[in-house]
Amino acid sequence: MDSYETIQELHNSLPAFSPYIPVALLPYIALVLLSSTFTLAFYFSTLPKDALPVRETAVATTASILGGFGVVALFCSAGVYV
Amino acid sequence: MPKRWRTLPFLVWGLLVPSFALATQPFENTAIVRTIELGGSLVHVTATYAVKALEPGSSVYTVALGQEQRRKTSWVEAKVKGQPKALLLQDLGYDEKSKSFLIGIELPKPLDIDGTVSLVLETVETHATYPWPQSAGQDEEQKLKYNTSLFVISPYHTAVQRTKIKLPSARVISYTTPEDVEEFTLDSPVTKSGATVTYGPYHNIAPSANHAFIDNHQKLVTLHFNYDFPILELTKYKRAAEISHWGANLNIQDEIHLHNGGPTLKGHFSRLHHQTQSFYQRSAPHVLASMHLYLPAGISNVYYYDLIGNVSTSKLRTTPSVSRNVKSPQYSVLEMRPRYPLLGGWNYSFTLGWDSPLQDSASWDARSGRYIIGVPIMTPIPSAVIDDAEVKIILPEGANDIEVYQPFSAIDSNISTHITYLDTTGRRAITFKYKYLTDKHNQLIYVAYKVSLSAHLKKPVAVATAFIILFSLAFGGRRVNLRLHKK
Repeated sequence: MDSYETIQELHNSLPAFSPYIPVALLPYIALVLLSSTFTLAFYFSTLPKDALPVRETAVATTASILGGFGVVALFCSAGVYV
Repeated sequence: MPKRWRTLPFLVWGLLVPSFALATQPFENTAIVRTIELGGSLVHVTATYAVKALEPGSSVYTVALGQEQRRKTSWVEAKVKGQPKALLLQDLGYDEKSKSFLIGIELPKPLDIDGTVSLVLETVETHATYPWPQSAGQDEEQKLKYNTSLFVISPYHTAVQRTKIKLPSARVISYTTPEDVEEFTLDSPVTKSGATVTYGPYHNIAPSANHAFIDNHQKLVTLHFNYDFPILELTKYKRAAEISHWGANLNIQDEIHLHNGGPTLKGHFSRLHHQTQSFYQRSAPHVLASMHLYLPAGISNVYYYDLIGNVSTSKLRTTPSVSRNVKSPQYSVLEMRPRYPLLGGWNYSFTLGWDSPLQDSASWDARSGRYIIGVPIMTPIPSAVIDDAEVKIILPEGANDIEVYQPFSAIDSNISTHITYLDTTGRRAITFKYKYLTDKHNQLIYVAYKVSLSAHLKKPVAVATAFIILFSLAFGGRRVNLRLHKK
């Protein structure tokens, strides 16, 4: 465990925090991802009901992942910094 | 039986035994000058000790604080005169033989015989002044009283000492003229010039940290003076700092309970009278109608509300973000007016919060793979004392390997779980509790933590799981036949 002064100097000399995705892009990313989720959900509803639901699972999984990131981006762009 | 004494913000606790208990004294004070700057809720006391060593290798200088003084002191710092680095202090506690509290100051280098050093001991006393008379009308003056001991107590012999008390203005109503001090001075024991009252110089004072001196010679000195500013006390202060990595944001929210510590209102409050006064710019000195708060640079989305709702009587002037290493800090200024003017004894509670970019406070250490963030303990409110403070730092979800670096020890600290939007397992929140904070306590708490990539992805995965559940329900729902007629 370093001392307070060491951490202070270290903190001042290190590069600043940078997020994985730039914050200014988040509203646009939210728009793109959520519209994709909406489109895929609509497409999911038109898929035929197969015995082995390969396409349905694939579309649902993709839509969910896009929706997951889209909702997080939506929250951040709305000001609720999750 | 002493009450619970305030914990002093010592950086290092040592194990040295006080050395003055020996028959020969290791040090001698050639001069002690104590300067007391009087204020409302905060009083700054600076004592300069010109020390001469009488024995070789003396390295710990002991300072004594009287009981009353120790009770009111909440910040102690010792430096060599002219040097910026603070010296290590040890709290030696209450010593029955000397009837005072002892603090050991570790000198930067041990002194040889007849070596000299000038030590500066800065302390801040809180709640040291009290309004006298205790109640005043809406447009009357505010007068305060301050008590202190006449002599600076020291375990070593003092050649000459003086106490200078700096008043906020030259208007002093009365000050004690000490009697029975012919042993130490043949001139007048107290002099006043302008806004400074000087007690001393007093010569040839024997080691005074003992019962004999304190019982026979120590006296109480009282000053009664005018004070033309509102006395601000924050009875309760809660700060929550929430870190968001996805939004690269640090949200800080302060819940402030303001109290005007001036004389309580005599009679009733007349709004008409108050309006007339503020129109002619002649408002009473102890009424708080508005105040300026200095918030960090680069903030946005500032909100200021109280129990009733948003308070619109505020004006914010922001300054753009600055990097962490900038020497002269930039501030955003918030001019705020509470819903009603605070007269003596009145309270007002409000919540103030803002968002600031995380880049301004946090850094990334690639070598050890951890983030370091510096969170200020308080919003600096000039000349105000914070009676009870609680600082809560809410880390991102999935933070582990948490290390905390405090500028001074807190009275209590614990880790809890905080749950907010889109959380599954909750976030770790570290809470620190402090008492009697002054403007000198405005420093940063550093927290180092690690958040792995999988922890970062917890949130999108949680939302994706919710979507998958909805899709599964839709999947099942599509296959349920709700037709009433057989096809």
